[in-house]
Amino acid sequence: MIRLENIYKRFEDTYVLNDVSVDFEKGKCNLIIGSSGSGKTVLMKAMVGLLDIDRGSICYDDRDFVKMSPPEKQDLRKEMGMLFQGGALFDSLNIEENVMFPLNMFSRESYSRKKNLVDSSLERVGLRDVNRKMPAELSGGMKKRVAIARAIVLSPNYLFCDEPNSGLDPKTAIKIDALIKEITLDYNITTVVNSHDMNSVLEIGDKVIYIYQGGKCWEGTKEDVLHTDNEALNNFVFATSMAKQLKNS
Amino acid sequence: MLKALANIGKYIVLLKNIFSRPEKASIYYRQTLRELENHGIGSIWIIVVISVFVGAAITIQTNFNIENPWLPRYIVGVTVRDSLLLEFSSTMVGLMIAGKSGSSIASEIGMMRVTEQIDALEVMGINPAAFLILPKIIAMVLFMPVLCAVSVAVGLLGGYLVCLIGDVIPVSDYIYGIQYIFYPYYLSYAMFKAAVYGFIIATVAGFYGYHVQGGAIQVGKASTRAVVISSVMILFTNLVITNIILH
Ligand SMILES: Nc1ncnc2c1ncn2[C@@H]1O[C@H](COP(=O)(O)OP(=O)(O)OP(=O)(O)O)[C@@H](O)[C@H]1O
Ligand SMILES: [Mg+2]
Repeated sequence: MIRLENIYKRFEDTYVLNDVSVDFEKGKCNLIIGSSGSGKTVLMKAMVGLLDIDRGSICYDDRDFVKMSPPEKQDLRKEMGMLFQGGALFDSLNIEENVMFPLNMFSRESYSRKKNLVDSSLERVGLRDVNRKMPAELSGGMKKRVAIARAIVLSPNYLFCDEPNSGLDPKTAIKIDALIKEITLDYNITTVVNSHDMNSVLEIGDKVIYIYQGGKCWEGTKEDVLHTDNEALNNFVFATSMAKQLKNS
Repeated sequence: MLKALANIGKYIVLLKNIFSRPEKASIYYRQTLRELENHGIGSIWIIVVISVFVGAAITIQTNFNIENPWLPRYIVGVTVRDSLLLEFSSTMVGLMIAGKSGSSIASEIGMMRVTEQIDALEVMGINPAAFLILPKIIAMVLFMPVLCAVSVAVGLLGGYLVCLIGDVIPVSDYIYGIQYIFYPYYLSYAMFKAAVYGFIIATVAGFYGYHVQGGAIQVGKASTRAVVISSVMILFTNLVITNIILH
């Protein structure tokens, strides 16, 4: 479980995160939703320490991340996997080397053992025969899947995904959502997903947090999302006029 | 002015990060070999070509300028040797590599910054500054003296060739000149300077790449700035070292 308490973050003098407190639960897909610019990415980067917060605490299973020294943070990060919006594959390495990279850095296994882990990770995300390809030779969706394979190869306890299916066609998007859900359940890990895609909210949102202008505005389950009377959330969920009519009918 | 001071501060912080807590040594070893190949071996040809021509040109120039019957002809050889050793093969080579490797280091690291690859390294629990920049520093510091020595040798060869082919001074005078009162100390001095320049190029270029914010345009700007600032620092350092050591 990851517990955030009273997180504040500002750039210059505008607060981008304003008193955010939330628990992300283990074995569940925790979705952060909100419109563009609401602070989802900033929140996720703050959680993994890529951005320093101004105030508040971030606890990973009762380990206070904010108070840690840089080496301690580095150690905790070995339990994290993160999927960046653009994939962030290392473009000088081929697919196999990309996925094997965390293993090379942190495990003392033999090459054949590592190769097995890489292959089973790639298998997991439904990729085969791409080991020797370079990232530039893959499509956007394939890159995202490789990035997921890399994020899970060390069996993390915490998985972060920033907009895993933005820019993908609906079918691939659903596949990736299903994959994230599957991994979360199989490994029983704490997964946090940023999204503004209502489809994935309804597919995988075991717990949904709605961020509005840098503050937590609402939280609940995917079932609750459709029946809330929170006005801001309703405006977000039923953004199109067609959806509004459906709700009112 | 304030921004320059802030940058110096950031530069020192980055250096501190680079030299703290390296991860697995074997990985660094492999990375360093790769950088040696990229920035070392990959630069030999250009240095060879340029040094041959410059050695030849200095020989012709020097001969032309000291055409004085009272001066022995072998003085040309001495001058060529000392110009190469004292300035050209360290400082000029430094400036050329600042242009070649400096811009490539800054844009490589800058591109990794804007595509979040550096963030990805950091979230994996790796110290990205050390992982990316340290192997480049080691490679540059090791290889710049080699490039410098190669440049001296090839430059002298250029002078020799021009004496052989052209009508400058007799080859025997040239050969005598380049051996006349030779201080081996000059060579180690030149190689030492080259090593310092290697450090400057790798760290300054690494610094500008590492702190890129934005996109492709900023990466381009960072790489230009890396070349300009490291060149200026090389010239300045040259002045300081020359003052300290030769006087
Ligand atoms: N490095 C930064 N410096 C200044 N302001 C920033 C910085 N990063 C983000 N912001 C601001 O913080 C706000 C939240 O940005 P954030 O990237 O978290 O949005 P988001 O919810 O992820 O949006 P999207 O769905 O479009 O990705 C924005 O108004 C943005 O301008
Ligand atoms: Mg975002």
